[in-house]
Amino acid sequence: MLRRTFLMLTTSLAMACAAGQANAACSPDYTGVTLTVASQTGPYIASALKLGADEWAKKTCGKVNVVEFPWSELYPKIATSLTASDATFDLVSFAPAWLPDFVPYLSEMPKEMQSGKDWDDIEPAYRERLMVWEGKIYSQSMDGDVHTYTYRTDLFSDPKEKDAFKAKYGYDLAPPKTWKQYLDIAEFFQRPDKGLWGTAEAFRRGGQQFWFFFSHAAAYANNPNYPGAMFFDPETMDAQINNPGWVKGLEEYIRASKLGPPNALNFSFGEVNAAVAGGQVAESIGWGDTGVIAADPKQSKISGKVGSAMLPGSDEIWNAKSKKWDKFPSVIPGPFMAFGGWQIAVPKAGKNQQAAWDFVKTLTSPAVSGQAAITGGSGVNPYRKSHTANLELWSKIFTPQEAKEYLGAQSDSINAKNVALDMRLPGYFSYTEVVEIELGKALAGQTTPQAALDAMAKEWNRLTDEFGRAKQLAAYRAAMGLPPKN
Amino acid sequence: MMRNDPIKHVFIWPAVLVVLAISIFPLIYSLTTSFLSYRLIPPIPPRVVWLGNYVTLLQEPRFWNALFTTTLIALIAVGLQYAIGFGIALALNARVPGERLFRVALLLPMLLAPVAVALVARMIFNPTMGPLNQFLSKFGLVNLPFLTNGHWALACIIAVEVWQWTPFIILMMLAGLQTLPEDVYEAAELENASAWQQFWGITFPMMLPISAAVVFIRLIESYKIMDTVFVMTGGGPGVDTETLTLFAYQEGFKKFNLGYTSALSFLFLIAITIIGVTYLALLRPHLEKRR
Repeated sequence: MLRRTFLMLTTSLAMACAAGQANAACSPDYTGVTLTVASQTGPYIASALKLGADEWAKKTCGKVNVVEFPWSELYPKIATSLTASDATFDLVSFAPAWLPDFVPYLSEMPKEMQSGKDWDDIEPAYRERLMVWEGKIYSQSMDGDVHTYTYRTDLFSDPKEKDAFKAKYGYDLAPPKTWKQYLDIAEFFQRPDKGLWGTAEAFRRGGQQFWFFFSHAAAYANNPNYPGAMFFDPETMDAQINNPGWVKGLEEYIRASKLGPPNALNFSFGEVNAAVAGGQVAESIGWGDTGVIAADPKQSKISGKVGSAMLPGSDEIWNAKSKKWDKFPSVIPGPFMAFGGWQIAVPKAGKNQQAAWDFVKTLTSPAVSGQAAITGGSGVNPYRKSHTANLELWSKIFTPQEAKEYLGAQSDSINAKNVALDMRLPGYFSYTEVVEIELGKALAGQTTPQAALDAMAKEWNRLTDEFGRAKQLAAYRAAMGLPPKN
Repeated sequence: MMRNDPIKHVFIWPAVLVVLAISIFPLIYSLTTSFLSYRLIPPIPPRVVWLGNYVTLLQEPRFWNALFTTTLIALIAVGLQYAIGFGIALALNARVPGERLFRVALLLPMLLAPVAVALVARMIFNPTMGPLNQFLSKFGLVNLPFLTNGHWALACIIAVEVWQWTPFIILMMLAGLQTLPEDVYEAAELENASAWQQFWGITFPMMLPISAAVVFIRLIESYKIMDTVFVMTGGGPGVDTETLTLFAYQEGFKKFNLGYTSALSFLFLIAITIIGVTYLALLRPHLEKRR
């Protein structure tokens, strides 16, 4: 009997120790918790979420189920779930522009996550601007997005090409400072008979098209003398999308569509990356993914020949207040934080909010996000200071020169004085839908650039009135980092 | 049971209540919503605008464009489906060799999900990577802008509709052809009537009632086209291939403009009713002649 009792005691003790060890491995312990995250269809972003999910599972013993929707369906899926206050999703990943629409249904980020080393490591453009709505933090950036310029260094450094270019255009072949130079370069390398085209941009409706157009327009419509007036007049909320700066941007965007591969009108960002990595184009603009994919020898024919730079700019920018062109002594680069980087948030209706925010912490930690940033196709671009400072991390995919140019372009763009912020406004989809429709007509030559932009401005003003001009003005000023209007 | 036996209420009222709950109530709710300015995003409290949404819609060029596009797709697609479907049904009815194999093979497209069909079609018609353009380029032809040009995109959608739904016409027409009395044809043979005369004098008139029904069903279904367009073109380029249902989807599920979308749905209902009534009124004299 004594022996039996001793055996039982020993067994119980051993089991308790084993359980203790198992729990120690799960810190914090979320065994049995399964989080559901809404994401766009992979690999972009969904694969980064899965990478974070694996790390979180190892750490906490919880599970993460990534539910993927096509880009065009993501907004309605999330919006339907949030407005119905159901607990379908424990986390939602989305565009910063949708934040104003989603804010009433999101929980605030726990205060303890809003300080410390990892928090300070986030670039201020995200931490202090894009993650903030009406002074509060409802979401965490999980990706950094700014449009940059990508080019083929083998073509740009070829002495024959350089001489021929200089002879034709009268200046040196180099990454363009202005959009005119960008179009000259595209025209120069337009050689369909040799399978080489000038440039690749997204032109397809529903294919992230309008951000590329905004990038062109930012150079002429984002005036440092009247900040925040790129999309709307921050005093009156009158649409600015049909002013002469935007017209110039659209004319050049249309011109770029004619200097790309055949059927470039059907290109979304995915096709842009394929064209660049396939060595089909001499230059391109787009998010940081382009450079990472083009550098990856498994996905690219131009690995080792990838150059990066900031977007071109202009020395003439339209002033929405004086309604005149302002002339500047030198070209002002026009970086545009297109899209602004994916964000992740926790709905109020979620049943596992604590676990969900813990997952966000793991997903966006410098280590996990740094790994995602150097993985081609993850969709994650640098958004932490540590992402661009760690050259060793990037040496895994880039040559030293490539890494220097890529990280320089990313960092310089985000921190540029005149960096243009993307529009964030309640009813965002209604505003951008008309842009997509009219852009399609202008690209197809069914309407003139001015007429297309006039139609957009008319609809933007109508929507602003419908949603409430004062409310929209306050939201727009907040989004542009301007103080509230008295 | 007597005619005025109160027990009848026990049997009738549950059915009436079920019909009211699942059919009439949503319709009435939707009709009420169509008189409101009501958005979920950004949240705007409902406000009565009476016929405001209808007036806005009727002044909206995009609505008329969607109605025109839908009508164009429906009329051309159903016309082609009927002509091709009737022709194939006649061939199958003539007991050609391998008729059973043809019958099964020709019915397969109808059994596929429209989304899957549209996805395959999108790949085939892809201007850059699609096999169709690659095939054409082997003959030195230029890449055709199948899905990036409005006219081409409409033609592609119609082609897919015809490919998928002609089997339905074949099935129905073949069933009708097999019920026709053989003695009429024997009498026509004795009168030395040609095949063409037999078709126009006997087959076509006798098949008119079933033709009318089949075309009516397909016409109504074609007006509701959504999945094929959504997957193949998303309504683009611009709004060149946007149909009424896709327009309603964009307004309802992307802009969450509920009042406007409800009004659009009711205008759609009115348009379909007018088309259906006109179609039946045009056919009535011919059908009555057959009785």
